[in-house]
Amino acid sequence: MITEEIGTFSDTVEEAAPVEACTKCTACNTVCPVARSTEIFRGPKFLGPESERYRSQPEAAVTAGLDLCSGCKLCEVTCPSQVTIQEYIRRAQNKGAEEKGRTLRDWVLGHTRLLSRFGSMTAPLANFGNRNPLVRLVMERVLGIHHKRPLPRYQWLTFERWFKRNSLSPRGGGSGRGGLATHRTVAYFYGCWVNYNERRLGEQVVAILERNGIDVIVPKQQCCGIPAVVNANMDLARKYGVENVRRLNGLPPGVDIIASSTSCGLMLKHDYSHLLDIPGAEQVGARVYDICEYLWMLHEAGELNLDFQPVTTRLLYHAPCHLKSHGIGYPAMRLLRLIPGVQLEEVDEGCCGISGTFGVKVEKYDLSMKIGSRLFAAVKAAGSDAVLADCETCRMQVEHGAGAHSAHPIDILARAYGHG
Amino acid sequence: MPDTTTGVVVIGGGSTGAGVLRDLSMRGIDAVLVEKGDLASGTTGRSHGLLHSGGRYCVNDLAAAIECVEEGRILRRIARTTIEDTGGYFVSVSEEDEAWVPRFVEGCGKAGISCERISVEEARRREPALSKQVRTVFWIPEDGHLDPFYLVMGNVESARRRGAQVRTYTEVTGFNRDGNRVTGVLTRDTMTGEETTIGCKAVINATGAWAGFVAKLLDVEVKVVPVKGVMVVLSHRVAHATINRCHKPGDGDIIVPALSVAILGTTAVRVPHPEVLPIEWEEVRHMIEEGSLMADGVSTARAMRAYAGVRPLYDLGAEAEGREMSRNFAVIDHEQRDGIAGFASIVGGKVTTYRLMAERVTDLVARRLGVTMPCATAGVPLNDRDDELDQLRHRPAQVGVPKPHGDELALQPLVCECELVRPQDVAPWFEDPAVRTLEDIRRRTRTGMGPCQAAVCSYRLAGRLVTDRHQDGPAATRAMADLLETRWRGVRHVFWGSQLRQAQVTAGLHLELFNLDRQLMLEKSTAPAGHFPPPQGEGQGGGVETAEVASQR
Amino acid sequence: MKADIAVVGSGLAALVATRTLQQAGRNPVLIWPGLSSLYFTYATVDVLGYSDLTATQPVEQPEAGVAQLIADHPDHPYAVAGLDALRSGTTLLIEWLRAAGFSWQGSLAHNLLLPTAIGTPKPSCLVPDSMAPGDLRRDEPIVFCGFHGYEDFVPELAASNLSRSWGRGEGSVRAIRVSLPGFDASRLFTSIDLARSFEDKAFRQEVASRIRREISVDGHRLGVPAVLGLTHDSDIHSSFATQVGHPVFEIPTLPPSVLGLRLFDRLRKHIQESGVEMIWAAPAHEAEVSDGRCRRIFLKSAGREQPIDARAYVLALEDTVDGALRAGVHTVVDPFFHQSLAHHAVPTERTDESLFKPQPFASIGYPVTDRLQPSDDAGRPLAGNVFVAGGAIAGYDPVGTKSRGGLAIATGYRAAKEAMAA
Repeated sequence: MITEEIGTFSDTVEEAAPVEACTKCTACNTVCPVARSTEIFRGPKFLGPESERYRSQPEAAVTAGLDLCSGCKLCEVTCPSQVTIQEYIRRAQNKGAEEKGRTLRDWVLGHTRLLSRFGSMTAPLANFGNRNPLVRLVMERVLGIHHKRPLPRYQWLTFERWFKRNSLSPRGGGSGRGGLATHRTVAYFYGCWVNYNERRLGEQVVAILERNGIDVIVPKQQCCGIPAVVNANMDLARKYGVENVRRLNGLPPGVDIIASSTSCGLMLKHDYSHLLDIPGAEQVGARVYDICEYLWMLHEAGELNLDFQPVTTRLLYHAPCHLKSHGIGYPAMRLLRLIPGVQLEEVDEGCCGISGTFGVKVEKYDLSMKIGSRLFAAVKAAGSDAVLADCETCRMQVEHGAGAHSAHPIDILARAYGHG
Repeated sequence: MPDTTTGVVVIGGGSTGAGVLRDLSMRGIDAVLVEKGDLASGTTGRSHGLLHSGGRYCVNDLAAAIECVEEGRILRRIARTTIEDTGGYFVSVSEEDEAWVPRFVEGCGKAGISCERISVEEARRREPALSKQVRTVFWIPEDGHLDPFYLVMGNVESARRRGAQVRTYTEVTGFNRDGNRVTGVLTRDTMTGEETTIGCKAVINATGAWAGFVAKLLDVEVKVVPVKGVMVVLSHRVAHATINRCHKPGDGDIIVPALSVAILGTTAVRVPHPEVLPIEWEEVRHMIEEGSLMADGVSTARAMRAYAGVRPLYDLGAEAEGREMSRNFAVIDHEQRDGIAGFASIVGGKVTTYRLMAERVTDLVARRLGVTMPCATAGVPLNDRDDELDQLRHRPAQVGVPKPHGDELALQPLVCECELVRPQDVAPWFEDPAVRTLEDIRRRTRTGMGPCQAAVCSYRLAGRLVTDRHQDGPAATRAMADLLETRWRGVRHVFWGSQLRQAQVTAGLHLELFNLDRQLMLEKSTAPAGHFPPPQGEGQGGGVETAEVASQR
Repeated sequence: MKADIAVVGSGLAALVATRTLQQAGRNPVLIWPGLSSLYFTYATVDVLGYSDLTATQPVEQPEAGVAQLIADHPDHPYAVAGLDALRSGTTLLIEWLRAAGFSWQGSLAHNLLLPTAIGTPKPSCLVPDSMAPGDLRRDEPIVFCGFHGYEDFVPELAASNLSRSWGRGEGSVRAIRVSLPGFDASRLFTSIDLARSFEDKAFRQEVASRIRREISVDGHRLGVPAVLGLTHDSDIHSSFATQVGHPVFEIPTLPPSVLGLRLFDRLRKHIQESGVEMIWAAPAHEAEVSDGRCRRIFLKSAGREQPIDARAYVLALEDTVDGALRAGVHTVVDPFFHQSLAHHAVPTERTDESLFKPQPFASIGYPVTDRLQPSDDAGRPLAGNVFVAGGAIAGYDPVGTKSRGGLAIATGYRAAKEAMAA
């Protein structure tokens, strides 16, 4: 604890800014998937704490190569000094974009929600266009999105609209179903992906929670902001975050917040307060749970419905990089081991390579496939019914790179509850 | 017969001596500089690096303040590569300080120091690091950072390009006289023991705090009072302008952004000898506490090291405590004063006014030698170039540099990653005969001056000693160890938090992985400790331990 | 979160403790606050290199050396953990390395003597096969090979030093340099980039042929920086040696440590493959103790503190390098029980004047009972079900005796055993 006395410097434990704690052990460079795969990336140690000493207000000495940081945060997870390496890189990148100006692609990718909404509204056409080689070539030329990168399918019916029509949970109240009256209510932060691209996952999340007697409310929400953060637009991310924090802080006490996307969850738990300095974000973060984390907590409290049908399947689990930053272990694996018939193994080959919007970019596609190549090879060699990953872009990448079917762990749990 | 003959021997390789060497060379006078340690290893290299606007002197020593103003402007023209125009704040943090404020304003006015009072809100907007206690703020645009190493090296290189010579690790042991005229200087290489005589027409004693010792060799008294000052270095720049306390000058009242670090200074304690500079915990603690009154983040910053320097205060007769003695300088014409011809001393002063000091003493000596060419040092840039962009790119480690420079480093190899030092920045110095220890490389390039305190670069430098300077393994290893030891001497005083953890990493690498501690116990090198001879590679005699002080920073 | 036994730490002690528990049929959870000195000081496992902090003669028989140390210093952590724990722990580690696919060698019976990157002989007990051919107990002459433009390994420095301290006659230690295909000396490349390139057979072939041109005589062994591949797969090393036509040995050098990378990547994966959960990125602190037992510790996870309720805890921490202990200006505090582990009026008291002498600070840590429980000043355990292993134990300096690995093994093993019984 730092003594509060002004100007007194007696028996305190230093609480230096994280960047100052770097001891040059270079552990970060050894785990960085980009540094491992290419010579043109200087690595987190240099672009983070070493360069940070040279970045001053008001002018950032922008160091080329910042954009090669994929944002996986494995450096932060590994750092024995807890230097928030990735945050420094992001801020520098953001500053650079503020000075040099953003590209059209930065804008488009940062406004994922807008893009997705448009895609969803024009779903059949958008999906066709995304698969049409000519359209993709033009997209590559104009936007810089690699023509080989499969783009997500859009669904016309959004999760939000589906929930309004279909859920068992009336907003803000209702009795438990499935035999367990737990009197719990959770707010589901579904995220852009579930809303526009994989509504079924959201349906399963809701079904599972309701099966456990939990009322689900779905507050109005904005994009979590991570695409904006990693595309050099922290102001936009902050704008989204402020809106989300306001709404989530308005939830009644005792209502926990669930996220089914690892990265959305991490933004809410951590980056809103630490990276974006949003007031009130810490209170939100303290009640956010990853869906599997939450279900495991229920299980330890004896509240999880264990009425599982066997699901006979051979599965691989790929832990998303951002899940490591949560610091909760792999609750999905623990949960799935409760289901009879499930054979589950972790495939630990590091980062899948896509890192959100990173692997979508024309100049980064090959690198992203190279980073994930070990994972793809291991998946192919192991053979399985599916590769599970809590992060949607990991799932996209595994399907593309390994030709394997990929699903959220929730999918198996839903099947175990008979909710195909 | 002397081994060499020259026009003038300049004794002392600090800013004054280097400035004198340059001035002499620009007037066409042959000169040799001898320095018993390395260039800038005495007072100059241990200054806090403030390019004085004069604000710190304008109340109590108006003359000194005016000198600073004028010389500061000249230096900005000729020594661009050594200066960062940080600007500065003078802040009051207490009631007593407030009483000083009107005197400060008056002093600035009299000295012609540009001084603008700004609101605390505006000040915090520009400089968020200013502390909560700050009450009154003045903005002094002409405060800045003057890098003492680049300054000295810049002057010396300028002189060498004009034919001057430099001999480091060369101590003056006596003089040759012809009657009452000095005709030569006796020197001894402090590492090899080799003795040499340099014949000359005149000698300029520019040894600052050591001036009395040199003068004594001629049985002449020059009374210089050594006053120690302790400084604490923080591993990053706390603020981007200097922060001075607006009060009667006292301990710990300045924070200087020095390239990539911040320097907190300083104390003023009379010491019996300029090489006896103990660092007391009370002083280190005091620097941090006083600094944290002015800026936030000081007491929680990573302290990188502490070091001590010595001011050469010339006793003009007043028996006052260190700080209140004049920092003005004096040229002593020993022919007039003591009847010894061909010998002059330049004493007192500060780094900011080095050029003026050099001009005055060189004027005297040149006149005596019959050279009529006037001083030209104020008109020509140190690096003899007018190129604006090149001025800023000269140094490897900079803040707020034009982006091309920042981006250029992106994929270049670095010898010292902390301080962005490239192989091409260090390589030429390995060819320089004046460079004889790795500390000398450090002073010239900033290698090893970052948070890791040479943990990584020391190996790469030792490697170059073998490949570029053809030293044997034991000598190179010894040199690497010595660099780490001198870094360690400063780190010990701030041994807590992140710097303590850093030292453990350093020990893990060098002692556990490299087994350096056992190597030092085992090695039998013919080369003296820490010393490697000039590239021509002669004269390996018995080793002489370098003075603890000379390698303390 | 509930757990059977929680192991906190990132070094060899944590890994050995975890493996010990898992082999005994328990369910450890490994809580991993970030990487530690595993990366560069565990290139090899050093059990006892020198009998004391100033001895210059390396220990030849580590087990015998430890036995003597225990007899001479009954309070030393080796003594507390016990020679049996060292033996059993070492056997466990050797078997584990084998099971995980590593090719390592060595035993407690004899130390190898390997040249470091500055050319100093250094005793080590367990080493990768890719380092073993450098053993200085063998007499074959050595050629150190560096690469143009790579400043992190200087063969000339190593050769010059080794020829004086070991040299077996004229020319028995030499240095050469080759240029690497595709690596331009004016561009940055790191040990990791080199290691990645060495995974390519054609690259190795070309480098090998360039080296062969420099060594025309048989019977030499080639010492290279540790960049032969990024994985634990030793085929790269053996195939490269075949291509070069001489035994090849790797030498660990400046960070990043490729040897440490290989070790960590594979061991971590193996742990998880065998069903042990690893919680990444979670610095641990705050032991909640009641009735003499620790009920839970807390992890600094994203968003909130995560409680871990376990039956027993092994705090396998390294000094301050992984943030285990907090060193303030005057006081060193442990983050679990908030004990003041040391107090110094003046920071310099923690140090020796020389960097190369033993530092008082290195011996600071948790005082422990004879069962490795953290104890108070009076020797009473702070919690009956908490055990400390590794560098954070008070009273020893692993640096000067080159014994960090052995102490990690012995205390990690013993702490695990005690935790099972707690």
